[in-house]
Amino acid sequence: MIDWELAIKTACGGFGLVFGILVLLGVSVELTRIITERITGDKK
Amino acid sequence: MLFGLLETGFPLFYWGNALMIVIGLAFIYLAIAKKMEPLLLVPIGFGMILVNLPLGGMMDYEMVLRSPQAGTVIEAPMQKGDNFEKGGIVYRLDSGEVTSPVFGRIENLKVFQGQHVEKGEALALIITMEQTNQAQYPTRPVGLLSRIFQFGVMWQILPPLMFLCLGALTDFGPMLANPKTLLLGAAAQFGVYLAFFLSLLFGFNMTEAASIGIIGGAEGPTTIYVTSILAPHIIGATAVACYSYMALVPIILPPVIRLLTTKKERGIYMKPSLRKVSKLEKILFPLVTTIIVILIVPSSAPLMGCFMVGNLFKESGVTDRLNKTAQTTFVDIITIFLTLAIGASMPAQNFLQPRTLLILVLGVVSFASAAAAGVILAKGMNLFLKEKINPMIGAAGVSAVPMSARVVQVMGQKENKQNFLLMHAMGPNVAGAIGAAIAGGVFLGILG
Repeated sequence: MIDWELAIKTACGGFGLVFGILVLLGVSVELTRIITERITGDKK
Repeated sequence: MLFGLLETGFPLFYWGNALMIVIGLAFIYLAIAKKMEPLLLVPIGFGMILVNLPLGGMMDYEMVLRSPQAGTVIEAPMQKGDNFEKGGIVYRLDSGEVTSPVFGRIENLKVFQGQHVEKGEALALIITMEQTNQAQYPTRPVGLLSRIFQFGVMWQILPPLMFLCLGALTDFGPMLANPKTLLLGAAAQFGVYLAFFLSLLFGFNMTEAASIGIIGGAEGPTTIYVTSILAPHIIGATAVACYSYMALVPIILPPVIRLLTTKKERGIYMKPSLRKVSKLEKILFPLVTTIIVILIVPSSAPLMGCFMVGNLFKESGVTDRLNKTAQTTFVDIITIFLTLAIGASMPAQNFLQPRTLLILVLGVVSFASAAAAGVILAKGMNLFLKEKINPMIGAAGVSAVPMSARVVQVMGQKENKQNFLLMHAMGPNVAGAIGAAIAGGVFLGILG
């Protein structure tokens, strides 16, 4: 017997989490760029 | 029996073994004649041939069959050397039948008619080639490839090490230059969850469904890693589906892309030059990613940690020897062990089942829907972007690095000779690899 509640939570929560983490990584990449540009004074 | 001395494999050879050998030969043909993923398909194909030659013993496991209840043996229908299917009756006790949870052959009978046995007492020694849930039915590998499989794959050593090598081979530069492409890699993970749901609807349990879904991540090591923990009995099917579809990316991706895009959209021009990414950014990325991802999804640590340390070897500039080894000798050694063992996990008795065919179908659905989700999101992003992106690069979010990016490049060139999409497609491509590892970690965190 499949626990559909757990299945829906796993799928929706899982996809949301993966998406959220990758968005967070995108934000961190941009922040890193800005910070490193300030440190090195190297504006691109 | 040859000359009454040597037991040959002929009496045990059946049509299923012949069919699997033909499939193995087809893999080797595709690799040699068509140059399709030869480093993977040659050893996988050869492993399939090896394991389907009876009595070769390369993938054998010993398993002690224990009595599920106390009772007296009324009948022992099998003899030493007899073969049986899964569920075959090995003993009849006065309290009920004792069946085998795996297919295999009798190596040794330990109790006989009229003997009383206690619950949990060893009844017989069985030789099998089936992967079992070790907590429920512990086995001991006794063949060369079963030892490699047990200690390399089932102990989850080889897949993370393969990820380390992939990390050393990956350039995150295109993704760092255009972080929007991370979204496309994320969207492509939709295929994982769609296939997860479809698998449940087709009667697979949760752990099996997760292992089938992760095929859509198009990362062989991730698929093997997740399946080895959640559903080891279907690892042959999920691994072969993943690696086969990675080899078939040039066939699967183009129709999906053409179906979802117009000729005009496929011809959208993207400037070939990307922002130059500094060395410091490239060094910081694996460190920041490791910390963020593992703090949020701890169960992704073996894959993500190895992926990122491999990448740090490449980008740090001070570990050239480690980087060179990971990119060359080490990746080759891991590939040999992993792919031979995966090929050998496909004995006919285990592989030729309707469920395997269903897994292969669900796998291709997972793959295709992952590519479709990437394309659809790219089209959606174009509604808001001033500088449009070619929606075909969304299909590269399916990972399968770098094959899917190459397919996008070839298709882009056909539509517009001026378009060089390879570097743009590499962004979602490597983002897809990260996304797949996170998706695998999430499944393990919830269901493991």
